[in-house]
Amino acid sequence: MTGSEELIKEKKTIIEARNVNVFYGHFQALKDINIIMKENTVTAFIGPSGCGKSTFLRCFNRMNDYIEQFHIKGEILIDQKKIYWKSVAVEELRKEVGMVFQKPNPFPKSIFENVAYGLKIHGVKDKNFIEERVVKSLKDVALWDEVKDDLKKSALALSGGQQQRLCIARTLAVEPKIILMDEPTSALDPISTAKIEELLFDLKQKYTIVIVTHNMQQAARISDKTAFFYMGDLVEYDDTKTIFTNPKQEKTQNYITGRFG
Amino acid sequence: MKNMTNAQKNKLIDNAFKVFGIACTFFGLIILAILIFNIVEVGLSRIDWDFIKDLPSRRAQKAGIYTALMGTVWILFLTAIIAFPIGVGAGIYLEEYGKKTKWASLLEINIANLAGVPSIIYGLLGLEIFVRIFGLGGSLLAGSLTLSLLILPIIIVSTREALKAVPSSIKDASVALGASKWQTIWNQTLPASIGGVLTGVILAISRAIGETAPLIVVGALAYVPFAPSSPMDEFTVMPIQIFNWVSRPQHEFAVNAAAAIIILLLFTFMMNGVAVYYRNKWQKKIKW
Amino acid sequence: MTHLDLELKQIKQQVLEMMSLVRSQLAKGKDAVLTFDKDLVHEINANENRVNAMELNIDRDIENALALYTPVAVDLRFIMAAFKISADLERIADNAVGIAKYINSVDTQLAQKNLDKIRFTEMYENALLMLDNVYEAFEKEDTKLARQVFIKDVLLNEINTNAAYIAIELIHAKPEKIHNYLYLLSIIRKLERVGDLAKNIAEELIFYVEAKVLKHHPKETE
Repeated sequence: MTGSEELIKEKKTIIEARNVNVFYGHFQALKDINIIMKENTVTAFIGPSGCGKSTFLRCFNRMNDYIEQFHIKGEILIDQKKIYWKSVAVEELRKEVGMVFQKPNPFPKSIFENVAYGLKIHGVKDKNFIEERVVKSLKDVALWDEVKDDLKKSALALSGGQQQRLCIARTLAVEPKIILMDEPTSALDPISTAKIEELLFDLKQKYTIVIVTHNMQQAARISDKTAFFYMGDLVEYDDTKTIFTNPKQEKTQNYITGRFG
Repeated sequence: MKNMTNAQKNKLIDNAFKVFGIACTFFGLIILAILIFNIVEVGLSRIDWDFIKDLPSRRAQKAGIYTALMGTVWILFLTAIIAFPIGVGAGIYLEEYGKKTKWASLLEINIANLAGVPSIIYGLLGLEIFVRIFGLGGSLLAGSLTLSLLILPIIIVSTREALKAVPSSIKDASVALGASKWQTIWNQTLPASIGGVLTGVILAISRAIGETAPLIVVGALAYVPFAPSSPMDEFTVMPIQIFNWVSRPQHEFAVNAAAAIIILLLFTFMMNGVAVYYRNKWQKKIKW
Repeated sequence: MTHLDLELKQIKQQVLEMMSLVRSQLAKGKDAVLTFDKDLVHEINANENRVNAMELNIDRDIENALALYTPVAVDLRFIMAAFKISADLERIADNAVGIAKYINSVDTQLAQKNLDKIRFTEMYENALLMLDNVYEAFEKEDTKLARQVFIKDVLLNEINTNAAYIAIELIHAKPEKIHNYLYLLSIIRKLERVGDLAKNIAEELIFYVEAKVLKHHPKETE
């Protein structure tokens, strides 16, 4: 088992946060966060509600930009590039860093249009190319066999689990390097959840995944690294196995064993 | 009353209120029904093809509503093409782009208040600005511009409501894929809210065609011998024609007025019907 | 206190109870050897069923706790430790029964001077002390106390190694008693096993409290 952890160490750093502080007005949501994430790994963010984990996740694709009084200090580097620099085109960043949300949120359009949307807004016109990419993305999320005959049907007619996989396919279609997931299975039944967890294992080969989850067992099952946040602090960041067998911080232990408060 | 249980008492109160509520509902409906019945009784027999296509005349039997009807259609058309883009554009700006500053909320309150300003005030405003300063005279264009001003607040407010009803998760999904703000509005927010936007616009315009006061102030005439053929022509509209007829002493003109009212009512009912149809159609199509 | 806490507390109580029962079984074994009292042997045999039943009880509760509460971190380590400790205790109890059974096989009572020579009492007392240590350490989650067990085990091993030579001496002196001496040596061997098992328990305890794996590594005895 220590072998895989050694392998992670040798991988390329893809996300790096240096002394990140986030404020909403006078409220400090994140305090001096430093973290390094490697390519092709799954990192889980855990912690009680309001601990800042989702805020931090949304810093990586600058989804917080529209929030009133949002203010960030420190640096976040993706692929060695500072993403909060003025010259960074946010649209290009979000092409590299995709996001899957808590509730499945397909567009009220056809299944095909949902997956093709990302390509179209990035100016892809070649119809054959779009079609190929849509098929590939749907296959990658194991949805192809279920929907191949009704690509023209409204995405809203799919089940919740299928919708969420469609949302993942939609993200994959623009070939990002990183996929951010904000509690992607919290609105799904256990079987759909299991399917998505299975999917994460495969996606890890090609993408770097950062996932926020309230489900401790899920974090334990799917992630290589786990970061525990509490009241805006990154309390502990370590191999998932270590976090769940022998966490170094008492707060972490209390949280994962359900003795919080 | 004394030997009733609490539950029985509550049930009694419950039923009493139900009866009261039904009475309230029917009060309005009955009054309206009496009104419509009255008008239909008087005016229906007067409506025929000649009534619609005849020009106004001093003799009630020969008078038609053609010029007024065409004036209303022109006003309708011009007001729609002026108010729709401006109102929807302003609505989109305020809802999607505008920063939530103190100025923005001040602006918001003002727009909401404008919707409640008496229409005669708009008429005076139109008279000063469009008729006199712009020199448009008592033309269709001046009238439409004035009515556009009048219904802009309604369109803006209803556009914003329709945009607000689009779940932010859809916008988030689009933005997270790298879409710009405009791409998101054009591809997601507007298509998802178009039903609501159109409903608001149609209802606003159907209010505009019933307006009389501002048009009188702007200079719409009670008697126009010919149907207008360009936006710069003089005009009259149905409500003014009706007002004109009603104020005459002869009974025949009152019949004419009733007939014209039926046509005007049909007009507004049709537009409201279209609005309701659109609303239902879009509500059914998109279930969040 | 969470549901899991209550569950864990109950498991701990059961393990402690089992520990004290096993200790009393072992202590009775000693008395049986020294007094040649066959009634005690019966008693030990009868109690063995209770030990087995307790082990099954603990196993069942642990299985439930794992299935229902999916414990992690310190809770998981405790459950794993308790599971192994109950198995170790059951084997210590088996050894106690084994020791007692020899009484039935030996024809005459073992002479006190020979028992002394082979350091039987010293070894037995020491083994019981180890169990006492383990009990207290488990109750108080005191790893320092648990580490005492490792030191005591060294003495047990030493007595065990010497016992072979002493047995040879005894057999040379009185070849006709070879039967008894071989049984005596077997008892010593069983006590040595008890020592090893007690040491295992101490290791599990340290794993649970400190998350350190001591097994198959040179012992820290500080």
